Amino acid sequence: MSALADIFSSFIAGQTGARSARVIDFDKLSGGAIQDNFGLTLELEGGSRPGRQEFVVRQDAPSGVAESLSRPEEFRVLQVAFKAGVTVPEPLWLCEDSEVSGQVFYVMTRAAGSASPRKLVKADFSEDQRRNLVRRLGAELARLHTVRPPQATLEFLALPDPGNPALSRVALYRRYLKEIGEPHPVLEWALNWLEDRAPEPGPTVLCHCDFRTGNYMVDGDELTAVLDWEFAAWSDPCEDLGWLCCRSWRFGGDDREVGGVGDKQDLLDGYREASGIDLDPAAVSYWEIMALVRWALIALQQARRHMSGEQRSLELALTGRMVAQMEFDLLNQIQELEDGQ
Amino acid sequence: MINQPGTRDLLTEARQVLLDSVAAELTGERKYQALMAANAMGMAIRELEQREQGEPAQTDRTVRAFLAERSLGDTAGESEAALAQAIRERRLDGADPALRSVLRTLTEARLRINNPGFLKR
Repeated sequence: MSALADIFSSFIAGQTGARSARVIDFDKLSGGAIQDNFGLTLELEGGSRPGRQEFVVRQDAPSGVAESLSRPEEFRVLQVAFKAGVTVPEPLWLCEDSEVSGQVFYVMTRAAGSASPRKLVKADFSEDQRRNLVRRLGAELARLHTVRPPQATLEFLALPDPGNPALSRVALYRRYLKEIGEPHPVLEWALNWLEDRAPEPGPTVLCHCDFRTGNYMVDGDELTAVLDWEFAAWSDPCEDLGWLCCRSWRFGGDDREVGGVGDKQDLLDGYREASGIDLDPAAVSYWEIMALVRWALIALQQARRHMSGEQRSLELALTGRMVAQMEFDLLNQIQELEDGQ
Repeated sequence: MINQPGTRDLLTEARQVLLDSVAAELTGERKYQALMAANAMGMAIRELEQREQGEPAQTDRTVRAFLAERSLGDTAGESEAALAQAIRERRLDGADPALRSVLRTLTEARLRINNPGFLKR
């Protein structure tokens, strides 16, 4: 552990031109089975960032799996999001030489606060605080969605195929379901429903694709950083809003549609205020159904990782047993949408 | 062979020990691990209970009857796969209340094992 701290601190000293770097604190941060995140506090002498500095170093875990972006790709997405004005940790330096630490890694600034979903959902916020936080989430997405293809540094992100992002997702999830090879009539039924009701696509924009409670940090009642960019993709703006509102990400705050924190109207208002764009609430509802299907498929894939012996884990095994919850929500939510509730 | 106390009894008792004497003494990540283990044991216990009440054969019969009424063949033991395939191939009307009812029966049977509390949502 301390050897790793020394490796990172020398790397940072080299990047900043500091005369010396003293490690004040180094610890492994929670969250992320695929990536390791380390908190590193340094006292830097001289160079471009003198004084006490708090960093986060993110690198692949030894048992990394690749369905998502690589660390260099994620770093480039983070740079684009930062430039677009999204509240993210500032991406500082990428080290693609895996000889340095044993893995490719990058360094970013450390944001204050916590990403814990339970803590946030249980927080004793006033209605005003909730409204402001949820509007802010809308504004963050609006800023991210100003990024449109093509982007020279994001060439690794494929455009939706077919051109309609919803139909492109349906095709992808059908493929996942086929690969899993286990019968799931409810998911087949929901995929048909999604195929038949795909809305007119919005503009194709840069989407975070894992923007949910648990993946952004809050300090007090203030959003301090949007994290975990490894699933970023070109898609429909409403995909991000639907994922954020999905029933699976309310952590017990079931009556608060936006991540267990607040109301959907405030999210849409915040989005409109920052972008001038009025999103169609019906399209967001549609993408909430898509979100349930997606999460069910991810859960099935995680269970497969356990069952195949690739990564034996009780947590992955139990995630597989959660799929019936998503299926139950799909049956209820589709019925409610059709009944016009 | 008589082998008493039974599996369900053993699991129930082991789970209670894990919750009362182990998890109660732990915090943080290790408590989370103990609670996950207790959760897994709870599922195994409920699965045994459901078997005593005739599952999964009963749910399978419901699905088979639904498929047979629509002339989708004899699907003993593989009724869920046959249902999934018929939906995928668009041989069933997604809006049919009877289809939705069968899908609900299947899902609720799983939730009674995996997370009965979720049925109250």
